[in-house]
Amino acid sequence: MSYSQKVVDHYENPRNVGSFDRNDASVGTGMVGAPACGDVMKLQIRVNENGVIQDARFKTYGCGSAIASSSLITEWVKGKTLDQAMQIRNTHIAEELALPPVKIHCSILAEDAIKAAIADYRSKSEEAVGAAQQHPANVAA
Amino acid sequence: MGEAFRIAKEDMSSDNERIRGLRDRLMAGLTEMPEVYVNGDMHRRVPHNLNLSFNFVEGESLIMAIKEVAVSSGSACTSSSLEPSYVLRALGRSDELAHSSIRFTVGRFTTREEIDYTIDLLRSKVNRLREMSPLWEMHSEGIDLSTVQWTAH
Repeated sequence: MSYSQKVVDHYENPRNVGSFDRNDASVGTGMVGAPACGDVMKLQIRVNENGVIQDARFKTYGCGSAIASSSLITEWVKGKTLDQAMQIRNTHIAEELALPPVKIHCSILAEDAIKAAIADYRSKSEEAVGAAQQHPANVAA
Repeated sequence: MGEAFRIAKEDMSSDNERIRGLRDRLMAGLTEMPEVYVNGDMHRRVPHNLNLSFNFVEGESLIMAIKEVAVSSGSACTSSSLEPSYVLRALGRSDELAHSSIRFTVGRFTTREEIDYTIDLLRSKVNRLREMSPLWEMHSEGIDLSTVQWTAH
């Protein structure tokens, strides 16, 4: 298996490896894939009050292409709004990393991961807004 | 060919003992790490082969990390395929342990220094990849991975 220079670079120098506290209200967490398939990605975003992704972290169990795809996407989402991040497509990732056909699924998983993280953040925010509406006396100033 | 057989007859048993010793040294060094599983029987086994699963680390990413050492993943017949090795599955390994396996073979000219180098290299790279692994993180938090609902396609 020969990897492109960019895949090797992301593998040797992965960006943003780590974890945020998933219980933090500003964090969205997406976990996709399955150990039985040989690919699991956990992607987390930290979103500020303006709906912009300030920071991102990933952890991946998978081949070099999977690690590179998730590392790349954490770089790409920083500074984007949630709607802009939802526009990222696996084809962009695959092209940037020059993934061969047999590794395209790694880029698809990375796209799924960011969508899952955004969905998680949004559902947490809606719950928080819902709780505040039900108990207005409890809303923090 | 005849010459090869002559050399084999003279040297095979002493070579095998030496190679088995090196293979066992490699196994001892690597199985000191937590969550490392030996695939196959250690007694009914050729003396130069070792196949280990490093739990929570995917095999291909580990091979990429240890490029100084020539190894393969899965079992001999499946190294270039994406499927987990059917041989390891038949030995009773789960899909994820089959995906996490590395096959080492000791050669006639392998030295003890190379074995020790390989042990140190694997320790360093397995730890690095586990730091990047969400499965290792969940295991460290005490989560039983067999109870998790995965979202695979």
